[in-house]
Amino acid sequence: MASSPRRLRVLDFGTVTPLRSQTSWHALGYGRSDPDEATLSFARPRAPYVCLGRHRSFAEVDHETLQLLGLPLLRRMAGGGPVYLDAQQLFFQVTLPTSAVPARRDLALAQLLAPAVSALRRLGVDAVFDARGEISVGGAKVCGHGAAQIEDHVIVVGNLIRGFDHERASRVLATASPTTTAEVQRLMERYVAATPVDPTAWRTAMVEEYAALLGATPVTGRLRVNEQRALTRLDSEFASRGWIRHVDRPTGEVRTIKVRAGVWVHEWAHDGGATVLSVTDGRVDSVLVEGLPTSDLRTFVGAPLDEVRRVLTDRTTHPLATALAAMPAARVSA
Amino acid sequence: MSAQPSTRADEVVVGGFPVRTDRLYDPGSHLWVRPMPDGIVRVGMDALNVETTGTLAGLDFLPEGTPLRRGTPYGTVEAAKFVGPLATPVSSLLVRGNPAVLADPGLIEREPYDGGWLVELRPTDWDDEAPALLSDVTALRAWMSAEVADYRERGLIAE
Repeated sequence: MASSPRRLRVLDFGTVTPLRSQTSWHALGYGRSDPDEATLSFARPRAPYVCLGRHRSFAEVDHETLQLLGLPLLRRMAGGGPVYLDAQQLFFQVTLPTSAVPARRDLALAQLLAPAVSALRRLGVDAVFDARGEISVGGAKVCGHGAAQIEDHVIVVGNLIRGFDHERASRVLATASPTTTAEVQRLMERYVAATPVDPTAWRTAMVEEYAALLGATPVTGRLRVNEQRALTRLDSEFASRGWIRHVDRPTGEVRTIKVRAGVWVHEWAHDGGATVLSVTDGRVDSVLVEGLPTSDLRTFVGAPLDEVRRVLTDRTTHPLATALAAMPAARVSA
Repeated sequence: MSAQPSTRADEVVVGGFPVRTDRLYDPGSHLWVRPMPDGIVRVGMDALNVETTGTLAGLDFLPEGTPLRRGTPYGTVEAAKFVGPLATPVSSLLVRGNPAVLADPGLIEREPYDGGWLVELRPTDWDDEAPALLSDVTALRAWMSAEVADYRERGLIAE
C-alpha cells in the first residue's frame, strides 16, 4: 500500500433500503480523512432496484420495464454501467484516504480488490482477479465493482453475486429490439454467475483479508457525526430527479451493452429491424441481422472482429458492414 | 533520460511521451494550459496523464460559469470504472467543456493535445498563478523526464 492505515473500521449497515444501500457508503467519502484509518463496510439492499454509474445515460435504462416491475432507479458516483441489484447481492466498500491508494487506477483496483478474491478463495470458491479486471470464476463474473474518489477518500465498491436474476438484469436495459435483450440474457447466463457463499463466513473472511492487506487492526465502528450529516444530505440529493437524470443523452446510433469486461453486445437499429453483434474477447460470438437468414452470417462467427471488418471492406451495403462502420473500433473489441 | 526526436517542430518526446512546447504545464496535475484569444485558456491532459489514466469511459464538467479555485475539481473522469476528480490548474471561471470529448471520451486518448482538450477557463488570478506552470523547454524536458522515471520506478507505466 502507498501509505498504510493502522486501523480498519468495520461498519455493517445491514439490510437497508435501495437508497440507503448507496447513500450510506457515499457518506463515508465526506467524513474527515484520517491517514491512519481505512473503513470496510457492508450493506444489503432490502428490495431490487437499478443503479446507473456516474457518467452513464438515463436513456440506457428501459423505464417502461422499471415501472412495470416497480424498480426504483438510482445513480451512484462510482463508475460502470446500469446494473440490476437486489437482496441476493452482498455489497461491500473499502474506503481509504487518497494518500493510501496508488495513483494509477487499474493498479489501485487490482490491489484493493485482491482481499475480496482471497476471501472467496478461503471459502472454497476458485475466484481470480482476471486479466480483464473482473473477479471471476471459470470466466464468469461473480462480483461487480466500481470506484470513486470523493473528496479526500477513494472508495472501492463491490457486490458479491450470491444469486442473479439474468432475465430481469437484461430486461432493465434499454434496447431497440427484443432480439438484443435475448442476446444479452444469453451472454449474461454464460458470463455472470452466482456464488452462493455463506454471508457470515464471507464477511468474516473479508474483514480478515482486508486487515491483512492493510496491516491494520479491525475495529467495529459506526458513522460519525459529519458522516451522518452527509448521509442525510445524500438521501435527499440521490433521490432528486436532477441527480438521477444528471446524464441524459441519446444512446447513439449503436447501442453497446457490456456483459462483463471483454464481452459486448452491439445493437444497430435500422429500418429493416436490428443488427445484433456479440463480441467476446475480440471475436464475433454471434451475429443476427433481423430479416436476413442466419446462414448468410454464420461464416463470421468465431472470426476476429478485425478480420470481419477487412472482409466487409468492399461490401459496404452488407448490413453488418453498415453496423460496423457506425461502431467506434476501440469500444467494439475492448 | 534524454529527449527523443519528434516530427513536429513544437513537440519534444521525453521517455516516449510527446510534450507540446507551445503551451504551459501544471506539474502537479499533468494538465496542459494553452492561452487562447480573449483571455481564455484551454486545458487538457498531457500524454503521460492519458497513459496512466487508462481507457476513458466518461467524464462530466461543472456548469459553465462555475468559479473554480486552483486544485479544486472542475469535473470528473472515469476509467476502469474508477471515477476521479479533474483538478483545476488555475483559479478561473469555467467557460465551457469540450462537447466532443463528452460525446467521445476516446478523443482524449487519440488527440490529447488537439481535439481532445477538456475545458476552456477564464483565469481570475493568472499573474500570481502562471509562474507555477512550466513552459520553458529545458524545464519541461527535465520535469517530464523525472516524472516518467518516477512513474516507471513505481510501476505506474510499463518499462
